[in-house]
Amino acid sequence: MFAVTELNQRDKKVQGLCRILFMIMTGLLILPVVLILATLIYKGGSIISADFLFSEPTDGMTAGGIFPALYGTIWLVAVALLISVPLGVAAAVYLSEYAGDNWFTRVINLAIINLAGVPSIVHALFGVGAFVLFFGLGTSILAASLTLAIMTLPVVIVATRESLQAVPHAFREACWNMGATRWQTIRRVVLPNAVSGILTGVILEVSRTTGETAPIMFTGAAFFLPFLPESVFDQTMALSLHLYVVATQVPGVPDELPYGVALVLIAIVLIMNSLSIAFRMWLRGRKKW
Amino acid sequence: MRSRQLSYLILVTAVTAYASVAEARTVIQNKGSDTLVNVAQAWAEEYRKVDPDVAVAVSGGGSGTGIAAMINGTVDIANASRKMKDKEIKLANERGQSPVEHIVGYDALAVFIHQDNPLNEVTIEQLAEVYGEDGKFENWADLGIEVPGCKDQTMVLVSRQNNSGTYAYFRQAVLGKARDYKLGTRDMHGSKDVVDLVEKTPCAIGYSGLAYATDHIKMPCVSKADGESCVIPTVATASDGSYPIARPLLMYTNGEPQGAIKAYMDWILSDVGQCIIQQKGYAPIRSVTCN
Repeated sequence: MFAVTELNQRDKKVQGLCRILFMIMTGLLILPVVLILATLIYKGGSIISADFLFSEPTDGMTAGGIFPALYGTIWLVAVALLISVPLGVAAAVYLSEYAGDNWFTRVINLAIINLAGVPSIVHALFGVGAFVLFFGLGTSILAASLTLAIMTLPVVIVATRESLQAVPHAFREACWNMGATRWQTIRRVVLPNAVSGILTGVILEVSRTTGETAPIMFTGAAFFLPFLPESVFDQTMALSLHLYVVATQVPGVPDELPYGVALVLIAIVLIMNSLSIAFRMWLRGRKKW
Repeated sequence: MRSRQLSYLILVTAVTAYASVAEARTVIQNKGSDTLVNVAQAWAEEYRKVDPDVAVAVSGGGSGTGIAAMINGTVDIANASRKMKDKEIKLANERGQSPVEHIVGYDALAVFIHQDNPLNEVTIEQLAEVYGEDGKFENWADLGIEVPGCKDQTMVLVSRQNNSGTYAYFRQAVLGKARDYKLGTRDMHGSKDVVDLVEKTPCAIGYSGLAYATDHIKMPCVSKADGESCVIPTVATASDGSYPIARPLLMYTNGEPQGAIKAYMDWILSDVGQCIIQQKGYAPIRSVTCN
């Protein structure tokens, strides 16, 4: 009935070309990830050992391990999470569950969006001015983690708010009709159903905080520290800064050392991400809708 | 649910409690010059064995960073590879700090070229024409040589970022205070980056602390002027002052050092401390015998 015209054939050809072109572009996306990982494993894999992970750097940081930096990064991320997760979740709950759409919430939303757009070096300088100098915290884990927390706050707020809003409104109405208060509804119905989405925000935050260098460089991380931090008021070494240092500042570092540090840094992020994704899938599996 | 809230509360309390009972340890904050940072790190690493109760926290960032921290009163010892300017000392005084200068060693700035480069000798005047604004020398042929592997024989000028003490000192010693650097230099963040780049680039010329020299790079002999005998950059020629581009390495303390800081400074200036700086490729303040 329909004869294939020249126009049809051309359209079909263009469509086929587009498909292949876009497929190649998608393939190119994974290329950098694969290349980075492969290079790091190839060049730095040989240095990774329990000894490398759990001993201190020696000989002017050209030998030995990375334990103080690894330990410090865990401190920085943990304290940053402790600050930003309660704050971010509380703000998101207020914005999504309590606040109406008025000028006040609109200003807050605008502030959150702008906060997310501030470059990390500006956060770093803000951290120096506010936490290190003005509040007198000095260069310490607390000052660095506060800076990191403020930087990642928008991520937590936006992810939490979106997952709260994904909980169907009918759930809340049903709860209110039973005579529950707003807080009871949030506590027993909304939050449990939104927890997997909140976790996404936390994962993103962990990944970002682990890798950031600029915000901690002036606020809490040291080039070298002959002791492990014992409180949040101590300075610390950190993996990201350590990588920068061994890659650019110290002469005579064996080639595999910086690659090894980079590999550990990426591995932490990947392990954290996979653990959280697994946990999230488990939570989703228990969801009843 | 109750138990989860409780465990969170315990966690927060534990962190706060931990923070307040942390043992009393003296921490010396040491920050500044990227040139000095590796020596400072080596001192800190070694000093741990001398006095385990004192910990020296070392940060880099450049002489400017260290001096700014001294002005703000956030460091105990600021490392600098240049002197504090009068303006900076005045500013520090206004903020209640009184910086005291200590010479802890000397650094010779070596001129670095690719190892295939046939240049053996260079004068300060020639360097000024190479690096200075409106300088006449653009090609290696202007120095009377031909560099193998360098395609169009144009010099690639490698320099440092402008808050570096090395940048400031090289300018003062080679170009003269009034003259600026030529436009189009590659400004590296760190001496090691300069050496790395020059090692790989036949056309390149760079400068940095002698301590950053490697086996794969060449350092020409430097003379003050045409006709004068040239001096090879070594620890010995930097210490005795015969090498023309050598500068003192400085540490600033707030007031005359006291207590733990005094003990640390004394140790740095002792034979043990001076042997460490020599080991790192810088010149000690006096000749020391090290094993």
